[in-house]
Amino acid sequence: MSLTSATAPMPLSAPRIRLRSGIGYWFASFRTMLRFDFGRMRQWAPMMVVIQTMMGAGMAMTYGFFYPAITASRALYIATGAPTLALIPLGFVMLPAGVAMEKIEGTFEYVWSLPAPRSAQATSTFLLYTLMALPGTILALLAASWRYGVHLHVSLLILPAAFVSALVAITVGYGMALIIASPMVTNVVTNALVFFVLLFSPIVYPASQLPTWLLDVHRVLPFYNMAIVIRSGLADISGQPVVTAFLVLGAWVVAGSATTAWVVGHRR
Amino acid sequence: MATASLTASPRIAPGAGVERGPRRWLRDYRSMVSWHIASLRIWLVTLTAVQVLSGVGFVLGISLFFNHIPTSAALFVSTGVPVINLLMVGLILGPQLVANQKVSGSYEYMRSLPVSRSVTAAAWYTVCLLGGVPAMVIALGVAELRYGIPLHISAWIIPAVLLTSFTGTMLGYALAHAIGNPMATQLITQLLVFAIFGFAPILFPLAQMPAWLGDLNWWFPFRHMADVMRSALTTTPDSAVATGYVVLVVWAAACAALAGYALGRRP
Repeated sequence: MSLTSATAPMPLSAPRIRLRSGIGYWFASFRTMLRFDFGRMRQWAPMMVVIQTMMGAGMAMTYGFFYPAITASRALYIATGAPTLALIPLGFVMLPAGVAMEKIEGTFEYVWSLPAPRSAQATSTFLLYTLMALPGTILALLAASWRYGVHLHVSLLILPAAFVSALVAITVGYGMALIIASPMVTNVVTNALVFFVLLFSPIVYPASQLPTWLLDVHRVLPFYNMAIVIRSGLADISGQPVVTAFLVLGAWVVAGSATTAWVVGHRR
Repeated sequence: MATASLTASPRIAPGAGVERGPRRWLRDYRSMVSWHIASLRIWLVTLTAVQVLSGVGFVLGISLFFNHIPTSAALFVSTGVPVINLLMVGLILGPQLVANQKVSGSYEYMRSLPVSRSVTAAAWYTVCLLGGVPAMVIALGVAELRYGIPLHISAWIIPAVLLTSFTGTMLGYALAHAIGNPMATQLITQLLVFAIFGFAPILFPLAQMPAWLGDLNWWFPFRHMADVMRSALTTTPDSAVATGYVVLVVWAAACAALAGYALGRRP
């Protein structure tokens, strides 16, 4: 078949005269990229969900070991912090590590060379990872609330809260992975970051326990704000700056996406 | 040059007899230690910095978990962080280093060196001590300054540090050499980090974890490492210390035997 078409006088796949562009082309590419990325991800997606659940639920469990007595408010804080604990390693460690691996293998360059808009490629990655982050997050929450016997008051706020938090973890993690060229440096940076985030962020304990200067830092960083919006969707805790937290998270999504856009928009 | 020396009588003749004995052992040991330090020099500096930062970070960070940290919690973390510092090089980074060597091919070269297995192990143990003890001292100093905890360091600190580091190093040595697949080694060490920080009673009292998990921990060395180190650093009377030393010696001997077997086998 291919031989006959090669020898035929008129080539069947002639290069197009006009550039392919437009919203219709973008969505067609987006659909194709979703299928492509899903196909690549499918084989290790279950393992990632398992690891993420274990990380979230496991960390929620071990935080409890550090306290001589678990009071009801401590239990509530730890259980409602578990989803955030499950999201942070996925976005800030596993995703950058995946990108670093793709860079070493050369897959990263290959995907860039595909005739699809790079914005469609990035959007497909964001969407798939966000969807994949949700099962592990929910399982971690269920395991932690079962372990501590906490009764949750789930409100509709949890839907935007979980979606925005997952999106922040993924856009910022992806932006970080793109802007740092060397895979080795990415590895060191993300691991150090997670160690300090998990230890020094008010995710499983009240923010009032932090020194004022550290709390001020956390008001600007995404981690504390993720914990606020997710906790407000799961329990009746008044006096939390939920609106501000959503605004800060929105700013981080924009910053992460802008970094991604800036890197993918450049030719090398 | 090469051809000339080939035709003439060779200047460096192979030794007629096999050289043995303590003098040869000591000479090999010195060479291997300097080999390790030279090949890891940048790595060791980075590692010490990471060790100090994470140790100090843990000692300081734990106080954020509480409104007012109880002295007992501060004491447990401060005396548990040295154990983690001692384990980090031999148990966690050592196997990862060997896994990298296996991938890059330098592992076979290291095995071809004309030194005995005991020399290789002793030299590596020395490097692990060098990578762990300074960070341990700094973490203890910071803990003392921050919390003013009642530390009473007895002479038992010397066997406690030596045995804790030795058991961790031998366990890592067995993991590194007895497991063929480098990917599996990486995965197991990652899991070990998670288990040591969260699921072993090193940084918090045994009573604060579920009883079954505490019982399970009796069979593993980490709980006993924390026991022997803590009893050497404080005046807390602990009846479990003698048992701790015995369990640690058994683990160290078993792992050393396993690693020795794996290293002695021809591939």
